[in-house]
Amino acid sequence: MNYDMGPEAAALRHELRSLIKAHVPPDFLGAFTDDPRDLEVAQRFCRTLAARGLLCMAWPPEFGGRGASPWEQTIVREEMWAHHEPRGAQYMGVNWVGPSIMRYGTDEQRRKHLPPIARGEVIWCQGFSEPNAGSDLASLQTAARRDGEGWRISGQKVWTSYAGMAQWCFLLARTARTERKQDGITVFLVSMEDPAIEVRPIKSMLGPHHLNELFIDGLWASDADVLGPLHGGWKVVQEVLAFERVGIARYARCERLLKAAPIVLGDQWDELPEELRARWARMLVQCRRARLLAYRSVALQSSGRVQPADAAGYRIAVTRLDQESAEVLMEIIGLAGAELAAPARDDLVRFRRAVEDHWRYAQASTVASGAIEMQKILLARHLRSEAWSAL
Amino acid sequence: MERDLQASGSEMDLELSSEALEYGRFALRAIEAAGGDQLVQRAEVEPNARDELVAPVLEELGAFDLDPCGDEDDRQAAAALCRSFGYWAVPYPVAGRLCRPRDLGADGLLVVDERSPAGVITGAGHRWVAVDLDGRRSWARPRPTNDPVRRTAFVEAIDLDPIDGGGASVVALALVLPCWSLLGMLDRAITLTRSHVLERTQFGQALAAFQGVQFQLVDAEVERSGLEALARFTLWSIGAHPEQALQDALALRLAAVEAAETVFRVAHQLHGANGFCDETVLSWVSRYSQPLRRLPLGRSATLAELTRRVGRQGLTGIFGLDEVPFPFSLRADSPSPG
Repeated sequence: MNYDMGPEAAALRHELRSLIKAHVPPDFLGAFTDDPRDLEVAQRFCRTLAARGLLCMAWPPEFGGRGASPWEQTIVREEMWAHHEPRGAQYMGVNWVGPSIMRYGTDEQRRKHLPPIARGEVIWCQGFSEPNAGSDLASLQTAARRDGEGWRISGQKVWTSYAGMAQWCFLLARTARTERKQDGITVFLVSMEDPAIEVRPIKSMLGPHHLNELFIDGLWASDADVLGPLHGGWKVVQEVLAFERVGIARYARCERLLKAAPIVLGDQWDELPEELRARWARMLVQCRRARLLAYRSVALQSSGRVQPADAAGYRIAVTRLDQESAEVLMEIIGLAGAELAAPARDDLVRFRRAVEDHWRYAQASTVASGAIEMQKILLARHLRSEAWSAL
Repeated sequence: MERDLQASGSEMDLELSSEALEYGRFALRAIEAAGGDQLVQRAEVEPNARDELVAPVLEELGAFDLDPCGDEDDRQAAAALCRSFGYWAVPYPVAGRLCRPRDLGADGLLVVDERSPAGVITGAGHRWVAVDLDGRRSWARPRPTNDPVRRTAFVEAIDLDPIDGGGASVVALALVLPCWSLLGMLDRAITLTRSHVLERTQFGQALAAFQGVQFQLVDAEVERSGLEALARFTLWSIGAHPEQALQDALALRLAAVEAAETVFRVAHQLHGANGFCDETVLSWVSRYSQPLRRLPLGRSATLAELTRRVGRQGLTGIFGLDEVPFPFSLRADSPSPG
């Protein structure tokens, strides 16, 4: 056994932290705020990462990447999420839109889309969920009908993150009515600048840009905009989800904020109720447990054996951690908040804002990227199968 | 920066060695051949015959030749062995026997809470050493009790005759190995529960077809697999980073007792009344998990001890989180987090 990632991994982590310290303001809480400068920070940071070959390091060399190992990708995931994802929305293009285009795209699609993603210049959004197709995605109704040499797409999408700032959309539409609803779906790569797409922001507790509606009315797409096989979009989506199988390294932000709490509170830490400090210590154990469950999935991914159910346990554990740690942290800052009445220290103000942001965001962790019930269903299926064994 | 990106992380190996895993499987079969589930039932009938029931199996497995305190390979083998004994709920302090202090010629070692020392040692050798969390060692003298074994699960109060303070280096391992036995019990509890809900029919379908049942089993499995991941890591970390071994061991113990609470709660609920019957294995595994869950410290006491020992620093670790997280900084007027 060996849990030490080694000096190369430590160097990569150090390099990423140095870049964050140098290029991300200390008050940064993500790209999606009311302050447009936060989005600019993220865009600049992506270009900085790209210039150092760190943005798309997981991509194969033939597409401009460095073929980074799953463990290195894990370090990137951890450091980015821990520091409020300074890549902004671009993780989506890097993590799965790009790899999907590599896998299914035509030469023209690869030439057109991959270089801007690799340079950190373009934002994609994901046109998946609909008012009547959330967890049951295959029930989607947005329709693409044959129209001359191309397609005419109409329908409605919902919960579409970053739609207001995205240049491109990875859009799912129904191209055929089939007995099995998964069989008639096709992926289209469409420009968000087309006037046939209207974006309506949905105000929410998550802050701006996270939730939007898309109204698509007669959007024209050519055959060249189809990604992968016609009517074969479901398979593409399954592979897309496989790129994201391990999921967000939520434990990394929880751990960073939990570790910061006693440092920021200083003497006030000792005045907290003993029971609260115990809950804090317990959360640190839960962070370690979630990290190790993630690493189990990464190890399986490294050996090419990862299955959907393998990551499900991690996702269940880490989203629970996200929400429980948010409650503990909120209670800590609540009890340490008196000092804010006086001229407050920058650290305490920043910490309080970061925790408040974490709490709001954590509410969505069991819903975003697929409801946690779907993960439970996956794991339950595995538990019932012959393949399961405790030993 | 030049670096071998492909190689980075390639040293990571999260699984016990194949030899340790094979040893664990061999032990499972050997215990089954020696009586399996019957061992705990026979031990209840003849409490003083436990050594006769179990020691030959340990001899056959070469367990007394293992040196988990000094050898990494043996530590992994010992963990696998403890897990297998837990799977069969063998009421015998295997971990304590494996950790016996050789310098004192003792038969076993158990970690105690010095405020109320207790343990499972009678019928498992004669000379036991107790060690508290600060490494103080004492000879352990069990206090005879007339309470029936069925109620005590072999736990006895213990009187201590102080020896020295030389036990600090082994406390962590002596806390960690019983967690592996408890993990084996959780393996068994979920295996039994899974089989039960697949076979038991209600309202015309297997219990496993009900989503309410499925989700409970999922909750239990998340706890079990999380404990398994943490148990492996901790087994490695107490060897690789002895300076933080006790904190890591307490963290594992906390996770183990919490996981046991969830898993056995679910297992009993899904077994229904069947689960309480002597003819059902779960009933035995559940009852005999109690000593491992309560001693030397139960859930609250473990958490309190962990909280006290991690102080402001929190769990230290190998994942690059020991530095002050950006953008925060230490206050000039505050004590250091250590």
